[in-house]
Amino acid sequence: MDNNLLVSDPMRVYRAKRDAARKRVTDKYAILGFISSGTYGRVYKAQSKDVDGRIHAIKKFKPDKEGDVITYTGISQSAIREIALNREITHENIVALKEVILEDKSIYMVFEYAEHDFLQVIHHHSQTLRSQISLAVLKSLTYQLLNGLLYLHDAHIIHRDLKPANILITSSGVVKIGDLGLARLTHQPLQPLFAGDKVVVTIWYRAPELLLGAKHYNKSIDIWAVGCVMAELASLRPIFKGEEAKLDSKKNVPFQKDQLLKIFEVLGTPSEREWPKIKDLPEYQCMRRLDHYSNRLQEWSQSRVRSHEGANLLKELFAYDPDRRLTAGEALQHKWFQEDPLPSRNAFESLSTQQVPPHRRITQDDAPSMMPVAAVGSQVQGQGQVSHMQATGQAHLSQQLSHSHSNHSGKAGSAASFASVSGGGGGPSRKKARLG
Amino acid sequence: MATNFWSSSHYKRWIVDRSTLHQARSDDLQYVDNPEYLGFLNIFFANLISKLGKKLQLRQRVIATATVFFRRFYVKNSYCETDPFIVIAACCYVAAKAEESPVHIKNVVSEARMLFGEEYGIKSFPSDNSKLAEMEFYLVDELECDLTIFHPYRTLMTLCGKEGGGAVPEAEAGEADADDVDGLRYWGTGEGKLELQEGALQMAWFIINDTYRSELCLLYPPHLIAIAAIYLTLVFHAQTRTSIQQSASSSHSHSGSSHPSHSGSPTRRSSRSTSHSQKKQHHQQDVIGFMAGLNVSMSLVATIAQEIISLLG
Repeated sequence: MDNNLLVSDPMRVYRAKRDAARKRVTDKYAILGFISSGTYGRVYKAQSKDVDGRIHAIKKFKPDKEGDVITYTGISQSAIREIALNREITHENIVALKEVILEDKSIYMVFEYAEHDFLQVIHHHSQTLRSQISLAVLKSLTYQLLNGLLYLHDAHIIHRDLKPANILITSSGVVKIGDLGLARLTHQPLQPLFAGDKVVVTIWYRAPELLLGAKHYNKSIDIWAVGCVMAELASLRPIFKGEEAKLDSKKNVPFQKDQLLKIFEVLGTPSEREWPKIKDLPEYQCMRRLDHYSNRLQEWSQSRVRSHEGANLLKELFAYDPDRRLTAGEALQHKWFQEDPLPSRNAFESLSTQQVPPHRRITQDDAPSMMPVAAVGSQVQGQGQVSHMQATGQAHLSQQLSHSHSNHSGKAGSAASFASVSGGGGGPSRKKARLG
Repeated sequence: MATNFWSSSHYKRWIVDRSTLHQARSDDLQYVDNPEYLGFLNIFFANLISKLGKKLQLRQRVIATATVFFRRFYVKNSYCETDPFIVIAACCYVAAKAEESPVHIKNVVSEARMLFGEEYGIKSFPSDNSKLAEMEFYLVDELECDLTIFHPYRTLMTLCGKEGGGAVPEAEAGEADADDVDGLRYWGTGEGKLELQEGALQMAWFIINDTYRSELCLLYPPHLIAIAAIYLTLVFHAQTRTSIQQSASSSHSHSGSSHPSHSGSPTRRSSRSTSHSQKKQHHQQDVIGFMAGLNVSMSLVATIAQEIISLLG
């Protein structure tokens, strides 16, 4: 009998030993509440039960289910990436991974906690303060973002999903780049980058070479995204808010006409002179059939970026030719960062208390396993509570995700004005770059 | 990170000493008559990983990563308390993901079952994907989530690799993107490289492959293993050795002018004063200077070279 068991599952003893030795998440952390969820799983705010009592964000990867039974199906590529990369890097402007706990078929990544993120700062200004982000804050946030990116790029890591929601800020105003789930090493890849992930970067932040179907790309796609983020901080709206064309049934990546038009409306149609290799890109012929636009970035920047040098930096981040786009290192050397107001280590240094964005909202969780037992209540009550909590969570999320849209329909517009360019029409919600 | 070994998890957490390795095998030692047998097991399991890796069409670097995972797992565990076969399959499965060339879990399970069952009579390998996924979970935990591995291949190609490197499969040599060149560096430019003869580079590559049959990857930093492999190649590769000796003796005969040429060939060679052969000769003479210029502990390299020899012997 015993022997049989050993033959059928020789690792039983090993696992029992390991399981007994392992500290559980809830032994080490008190879960304070639920922060957000995504395709990957859920994020919680938690306090360490150590003497230091530090606050953390715990990212719990969704366990895979077969029917109702949670089962092992293999760790996702994106979890492996995020874990593997985070274990190797440390930088002030990158969210630090404290530890990873593997328990009960779930993976928990324990990160340092950041009170704010770029999206929340943008919302706070557009909804509550109803004013632009001050130049000092805009510059500090952009500088620190580039500084973190320089570190990643020097380590041969492309982030591939930079966007306001993924860029966090601590309560002391330090920018922390987060979510390396789509990031990867580019040093000596065994396969070309496109082979792994057909689509990278959320559509609004996606570089033109990607939109034109480039199979080979590099760090400069992150720089384009930084341009988009900086523009969004300056104007409080996504600068290129296009509609994503969906994948067809064969999972072919379609021509992203609307997104390209949104870009051309501001930056003008790219020419072979400014981007010689453009004619080699797969979608070049499709692009040539689009209406022709001229560059109006200068005009766009005037009231929004409020600085000649700032506008110049934005222009260079938005160079069409990836080879001519600034690198993170070059961008940090830009004159804009050398003129007043100088970027500061605490991005909120110049702000009064009420100008600082509010603390991250947390809600009760609908996943009982992560919450203290008392909070869940009895079975029947628990059910009701769960759905209620889910609703709060979702309300919170949708508040996070939706931008205020004026209902202009400047869709696929050939002669759209700036208002409709940046105001968008109907407004697609922020889409994940990831594919199922 | 990918560039800096000294700040990597590999260097900081996973270079161990011999007493740690000895400790790790203490339980297993009770079951063998001769401790040498455990060394044979090291070879056996490395070969098995390699076989499974080839069936899964994994690249050499992925197989090497899987092997390092396997070795690390058994720094903390004993063979007698675990099932090395499922561990091997999990190592290949995780390594493929960690090296960004994933394979489907189904394939790993079916190839492993076939290989282990048919060739080694291991019938216990589970047919259920979730068993392998479960092992992956425990494996990643044992590895403390340190999944980025540095390999000697990279040092080898940095020091000796040619553009489009003939001897070694091109893709294995690494498709470093051209725009990775940041700041001041001479590597990757071809400057300062040791030019190995046709076949010699391949020999060095194969020597590195062989080091994974031992625990060297746990004991020494990969760049030292690479340099030891280069050193051994300079000695073992017949043509390379001959030309080093020739250039050494011809430089002798140049300095000692009265000395008559001992054999025909070196004189003929040196008399053929085309710029090409001169350049080549000059280069060959530089080998010792090249090794000395690496600024690494040569006694450590010699130790590693000795260990490789005892492994091959």
